[in-house]
Amino acid sequence: MKSFNARFYGNPRVYLGLIWLAAVVIVAVFAGVFAPRDPFAIVGQPFLPPGSEGFLLGTDSLGRNVMAGLIHGARTTLMIAVLSTVAAVAFGTVLGALAGYYGGIVDDILMRLTEFFQTIPWFLFAIVLVAILSPSAMNLVIAIAVVSWPPIARVVRAEVMAVKAREFVQAAVVAGQRDMGILFGQILPNTLSPLIVTGSLMVATAILIESALSFLGLGAPGQMSWGFMIGAGRSFLRDAWWLVTVPGVVILLTVLAINLIGEGLNDALNPRLADL
Amino acid sequence: MKRFLTTAASVALATALSVGGALAQSQGGTLVQITQPEPPNLAPYVSTSGPIAQVTSKVFDGLLEYDFNLQPQPSLANSWEVSPDGLTITFNLRDDVVFHDGTPLTSEDVRFTVMDVLKQAHPRGIATFRNVTAVETPDPHTVIFRLDAPAPYIMMALASSESPILPKHVYGEGDIRAHPKANEPVGSGPFKFVEWRRGEIVRLDRNEDYWRDGQPFLDRIVVRFIADASTRTAVLEQGEAHVAGFGAVPYQDVKRLEALDTIEVTTRGYEMISPIVEMIFNTKEPPFDNAKVRQAVNYAIDRQFVIDNVWFGYGTPASGPISSNFEPSGLFGRGIDFSVPDRIDIANRLLDEAGFPRGADGVRFEITHDVTPYGEEWQRFGEITVQNLAEIGIKATIRYEDLPSWLARTYTDYGFQLTSNFLFNQADPVIGVHRGIHSDRILPGTVFVNGSRWSSPETDALMDAATVATDPAARSASYQALVPLVTEASPVAYVLELNYPTVLSTQFADVITGPLGIYGNYAFAHKR
Repeated sequence: MKSFNARFYGNPRVYLGLIWLAAVVIVAVFAGVFAPRDPFAIVGQPFLPPGSEGFLLGTDSLGRNVMAGLIHGARTTLMIAVLSTVAAVAFGTVLGALAGYYGGIVDDILMRLTEFFQTIPWFLFAIVLVAILSPSAMNLVIAIAVVSWPPIARVVRAEVMAVKAREFVQAAVVAGQRDMGILFGQILPNTLSPLIVTGSLMVATAILIESALSFLGLGAPGQMSWGFMIGAGRSFLRDAWWLVTVPGVVILLTVLAINLIGEGLNDALNPRLADL
Repeated sequence: MKRFLTTAASVALATALSVGGALAQSQGGTLVQITQPEPPNLAPYVSTSGPIAQVTSKVFDGLLEYDFNLQPQPSLANSWEVSPDGLTITFNLRDDVVFHDGTPLTSEDVRFTVMDVLKQAHPRGIATFRNVTAVETPDPHTVIFRLDAPAPYIMMALASSESPILPKHVYGEGDIRAHPKANEPVGSGPFKFVEWRRGEIVRLDRNEDYWRDGQPFLDRIVVRFIADASTRTAVLEQGEAHVAGFGAVPYQDVKRLEALDTIEVTTRGYEMISPIVEMIFNTKEPPFDNAKVRQAVNYAIDRQFVIDNVWFGYGTPASGPISSNFEPSGLFGRGIDFSVPDRIDIANRLLDEAGFPRGADGVRFEITHDVTPYGEEWQRFGEITVQNLAEIGIKATIRYEDLPSWLARTYTDYGFQLTSNFLFNQADPVIGVHRGIHSDRILPGTVFVNGSRWSSPETDALMDAATVATDPAARSASYQALVPLVTEASPVAYVLELNYPTVLSTQFADVITGPLGIYGNYAFAHKR
């Protein structure tokens, strides 16, 4: 059987995904270097088409540089997506682990709670949360995390229930380890692979939610994001196609890249599935 | 402005000619008007929601109509006379007017409309007719308003859209606020109400017995309601609809439509509405309790850039609280010109003097800028404001809220620092301007009044004098003195006069014939 590295990096689709994602991450981290000016600054004539002098991707309806918007938008969008995923994974893992490990009444209570959240249409729920909390970067993270954690909790619970029955866990029980030690020291490390796959795909979903909320005008005010650029440009679709197209394509490519990487991880971590 | 006057004069002439040649116009045709949004009801006598009168102004008549110079013209009233002390207004009614159900109009209908309906239940009429103590009807065609104090602005509020005359025998029965005919209006106007298919259309047919002989020329008016903005543009582009105004067509689309041969665009027909885009300061809290800071912000706003890039040219820089549409009637005043070339230097100097030096990062202080939640233009205006303020060292953060929250923040809790806003001057400064700056309009919980909470005894006195003055020259003098004082104190930054574009099909002529534009009655509209 091939090693993880060989299976993961040997996959050409993973390569493409990693290259694009790495580029986006580098741009996001060094946004201030690539585009030193405020992306909201009015720097040129409005509606300059892509390729105009000094504006590779043109300017928007107020004369803002679309390229600078994309660069700073990468930072906002990625930051919100990653933070909300981390929050959702942390919360979902703890809940799922407790439910799966203890079973019985604990499981019942926690799973009914999870189902309660799962029954609410998630996008409407996110809109309501942002509207109530008022739009800000922090509240976007909260809203996206709140609608994203239930699948994580379910995955972790199922894995924990499966692993719990294994011999090494029984050995740890016999050896007198405490519950928390067994759960976090023995069981959870063995549930990581589905968690990583689900989590990585969740980043892609979070980018889409963030973009959709920004498109609806519920994004973080004062922070450039890809969804905001599309929302601000949609009225001018017939006059200035690039305002919507450029950030749209970037969102598409980024979400696609993350999905490719997520699938690659899945194949690499579950070699039996990959060989089917 | 000179150009405006010439245009207005030539339009008045054209209207006069078309009146003269009335019978020569071809009969027939269906005019399709787009109204956005759909009105909540068709009861303009109890509700002032904007879209209502775009429909009902064709069904009801007013006592008067107005020309582009805001001078009263005969309508149901043939002639009128205001007594020298301003306490008596006499109207002589036409004797050939019948309502759509065939009953003749009498002075009793006017008395009922003013005293029992408008003065009791019309949101603006309560204030407009406050000083009217009685309406006397000595004979069926004479109406006398008795006032306890002069109220010259009443003569500006008698159009069909503002004060529609109702048939007493229809609306006199039952509760006027929930009347069975609220959505099936019966009036004396050039078009009769036929049906209202909710979410789709209102159909109005030609009134055969209209008092202007041979008019109207159109067979029918269909008012369509289309929720999606790009569909509205497309319908006009295809010639399926013929007239739309009041921002129903997105400003950037108007430019494209204007280029078509089949469409013309006019900004006339808003002279009695006069919308002003402004920003209100919270003058009771630092930093905007300091007039120098408020003036600095006034200087910082790049008015021409806002006009060109948010309202796509459909605006002119405002020169104070009163719109230049009042120039012909002499009520216009000019304040400090904040659009001078060295405005940024002046603003920086004012802020230095006010004791707000720039910090190491170039920032003097930070504020939150609220944006009035009326749509995309306002967000774009807010984004430009943030950039303009950054130039003078004020770091602003935008806050977007829903309408109820924003209204409560601005007019009830006063929990704002600087917010954009939008007020109509209406037909007279007493109706539209005083509410924003007079001390008696600092009313927590009442919306679209004095949200800055600024006032001064001097400006209050000038407005009080203009309210009761019957001599036009005296009113003019009051406003000439008022405007510089207001811009000096700058409780509100008056940014621009919004010139709404009305999109018209070239298939029809004489659709917009007065200062009320699509709030007119279309009695003169005809196919080319």
